[in-house]
Amino acid sequence: MAIKPRVPVREQPAEERIHNFNSVPYGYSEEEAIAEAQRCIQCPNPTCEAGCPVNIKIKDMIRLIKEGKFAESYLLTKQDNAFPACTGRVCPQEDQCEGVCILVKTGQPINIGKLEAFVADWGREHNVTEETVSASKEKKVAVVGSGPAGLACAAELRKFGYQVTMFETLHKPGGVLVYGIPNFRLPKEIVQHEIDYLEEIGVDIQLNMTVGQNISFDELRENYDAIFLGTGAGAPQFMGIEGEKLNGVYSANEFLIRANLMKSYLFPEWDTPISVGKKVGVVGAGNVAMDAARTALRLGADEVYIIYRRTMEFSPARNEEIEHAREEGIIFKELVNPVRFVGNDQGWVTGVELIKMELSEQDSSGRPRPVPVEGSEFIMELDTVIEALGTVPNRLFLSRAPGLKTDRKGVILADDNRMTSIEGVFGGGDATSGAATVIKALGEGKRAAESIRDYLEGK
Amino acid sequence: MSHKITRKMDLNSDDFYVEVEAPLVAERFRAGNFTILMTVPHGERIPMSIMKAEDGKISMFIKKLGKTSRELYKELDTFENVIGPMGKPIDIKNYGTVVVASDLVCGHAENYAICKALKEAGNKVISYQTFPTEKEIYPEEVLANDVCDEFHLTTEDGSKGEEGHYIDLLEERLENGEKVDIVFAGGSLPNLKELGEMTKEYNIPTIVTVRQIMVDASGMCGACRVFVDGEMQLACIDGPMFDAHKIDWGAALRRPKMYAEMEKVALEHCKELGRCE
Repeated sequence: MAIKPRVPVREQPAEERIHNFNSVPYGYSEEEAIAEAQRCIQCPNPTCEAGCPVNIKIKDMIRLIKEGKFAESYLLTKQDNAFPACTGRVCPQEDQCEGVCILVKTGQPINIGKLEAFVADWGREHNVTEETVSASKEKKVAVVGSGPAGLACAAELRKFGYQVTMFETLHKPGGVLVYGIPNFRLPKEIVQHEIDYLEEIGVDIQLNMTVGQNISFDELRENYDAIFLGTGAGAPQFMGIEGEKLNGVYSANEFLIRANLMKSYLFPEWDTPISVGKKVGVVGAGNVAMDAARTALRLGADEVYIIYRRTMEFSPARNEEIEHAREEGIIFKELVNPVRFVGNDQGWVTGVELIKMELSEQDSSGRPRPVPVEGSEFIMELDTVIEALGTVPNRLFLSRAPGLKTDRKGVILADDNRMTSIEGVFGGGDATSGAATVIKALGEGKRAAESIRDYLEGK
Repeated sequence: MSHKITRKMDLNSDDFYVEVEAPLVAERFRAGNFTILMTVPHGERIPMSIMKAEDGKISMFIKKLGKTSRELYKELDTFENVIGPMGKPIDIKNYGTVVVASDLVCGHAENYAICKALKEAGNKVISYQTFPTEKEIYPEEVLANDVCDEFHLTTEDGSKGEEGHYIDLLEERLENGEKVDIVFAGGSLPNLKELGEMTKEYNIPTIVTVRQIMVDASGMCGACRVFVDGEMQLACIDGPMFDAHKIDWGAALRRPKMYAEMEKVALEHCKELGRCE
C-alpha cells in the first residue's frame, strides 16, 4: 500500500509574518490531524517511542487521534509529558521520534511534532483536565529554577504527592521557554497555560527569588527533604575579541530577553527598549541564532545575516528553523568568522572584520573543523551585532553553593540517578549537561523526580 | 505581587524619596546591594540603589528622568515588583578611616547605607555629599550626617556648606597628609572616573558604583558588562562596586547612553497618555 505524503502544515506566509510575532505554523485542524494520523502504520515495535527523551506513547497518541478521540489522546500524552504544546513546537523531532520513524525511508515520516502540538492545543482549547496527584505526602522538595528541567521535575514530584516549592529569579516562570524562545515559535499564552497546570496541581511557584541571594542554599538544605537544581545554562558566552564593548553589540541572551520576556517588540506600550539597526549580523548558527535573526527582522531590520564559520549543513539548528529563516530572507554568510568589531567615534558598532574559513578534518563534534584562510580578512558593515555562541551555567548560583562539584565550565556533575556531589541534591537540564534541548531537560527533570522519590522513600 | 509605597516626598525639584514595602529585600539587604524595580507589569527592570532597609521596607532616592521615574512620581502608589537584594555587598569590616562620597541621586542613597554599615563596623567614617547649589540640597533627615563621624555638606557654587566638589575637597585633605585608608563613592560616572585618577596618585584604594543598564540583573544577559583590569565583569553579580583604578572607563561611560533616543520616545508616549509630566 502506497503511503500518502505528509499532510502539509499551513503557515503564515513569510512576507506577512516578518511583520509580526504571531505563530508561524497555524497547526493542524481536526481533519488534517486525522489524515496525518491515518498515515501511521502503527508499527508493532514503535521506534519513535524509543527516540523520545520522555517516552511519550506516541503510537497510541496517534491511534487515538486517528479515531477522533482527541481528549483521550491528550490525557495519554500528558501522562508522560506535562508540556506537549511546548515540545510539539520546539523539539528537534528530526533527530528524535521522526528521525527513527519507519517512514523516514520514504522521506515522509509522520509529522509527530505537529500531531503532539495538535492534541495539546485541542486539550487546552476544550479545557480537558484530569486529577493526577496521588495521595498527599508530607515530604518537601525545593526545585531551583522554573525552566524546562525544573517544570518537569516539579510536575512529576507533585504527581507523586510531595510538597513542591519552586524558586525562580525572574518575575515570570518558564525559564528559556519564556525569556529565550520567541513568540512566533512558541506563543507565550501556551507556555503560561502549561505552567498554570502546575499551579493547579499544587506546585508553589515563588517568583523573584534567587537562591543564594534571597534564600541561601544552606537554608534550602535545612528546610527541604530534597532539592532539585534546574538552574540551567543561562549565562552568555562572548567571543572575547576587540570591539565587544561597543554599543550595539548584544549577546543573543540579552537581545532575546528584551524581545521575549520584556516584550520590547511592543515598545513604547511596553517600556523596555531594544536597538535594531538596518543591517544586523548574528554570529552563530544554532537555534538561538535563528531566533535572534528572525526577531531582528521582525523588529524592522532590512538585512539580517547569519555569520557562520562552517556551512549550514553543519548547523546545529532544527531544520524547520533554518527553513523558516531562509523563507523570511535571512542571509546565510557561511565560512567566515569575526576577528574584531569596529566602531565609530561615538562608540557604536559599525561593522565586523571577518576572516574566511575553510573546512578541514573532523573535530570532536564530528563536524569538519573550520580553519582560517590567512590574509582573507575583510570588513562587513553592520549596525547591530548579536553574538549567539551558546551559553554556560550561571556562576551566580554556583558561587553561592560551595561543595557542589562542577566541571571546568561550571556544569554540575550528577550521577546516573541525577544526584549531585551533595546527598539529597539532584540536578538536570542544562545545569548538568551544558546547553542542550528543552526536551532533554524535561526528560532529565522527570528522571530526577523518580530518583528523588526513591531517595525519599529510602529505596 | 504588588508592593505598597508607604512614603513619597520631594528631595528637591528633580529628585524624590520613595519608601516601599519589600520585606524580602529589606531582610537581607547589606550596603552595596541594590534592588531591581518594575513599576508596572509592562515596565522595565531597573536597578536602584537602596538608602536604608528597615521594618520590611526599603527607601530609595529617584531622579525624575524618563518615563518610569516620572510616571512613578505622578501616578503610582505601588510597585509591581521590588526584587533583590541583588549584587555583591561591600566587604564590611574595619578599614580604619573611610571616606564615603557622592554627588548624585543614587550615590547619595549609597552614601547613607555605606556610612551606616562601616560606622557600625568600627570605622572612622567621613562622609562628603556634594550638591550643585543650595537649592538641590536634600532634607537633613535623609543625609548621612547621623550615620558618620564627620560630615561634609558641599555645594559646587558655595551657596551653602563647604564650597567645591568632593573630589577637590578630598584632594585638599590628602594633600594635607590626612590619613584615609579607603574611599567608597557613587554618583556621576565621569566624576567617579576623575576621583579614581586623583586617588590613584595618592595610592588610596577607591571602590565606586558603576551604574549600568541591566535587564535580568542575575548574570544572564551581559548588558551590564564592565571591563575591570582587562577582564569582563558583570555589574549585576560581580558588582555594582569595582576598583576605580582598574575600570575601563571609556566603555563604562558610553554604555549607559545606548538607549538615549528610545528613552525620549518612551517619555513622549507616557506624556501623551497623561501619566507623566
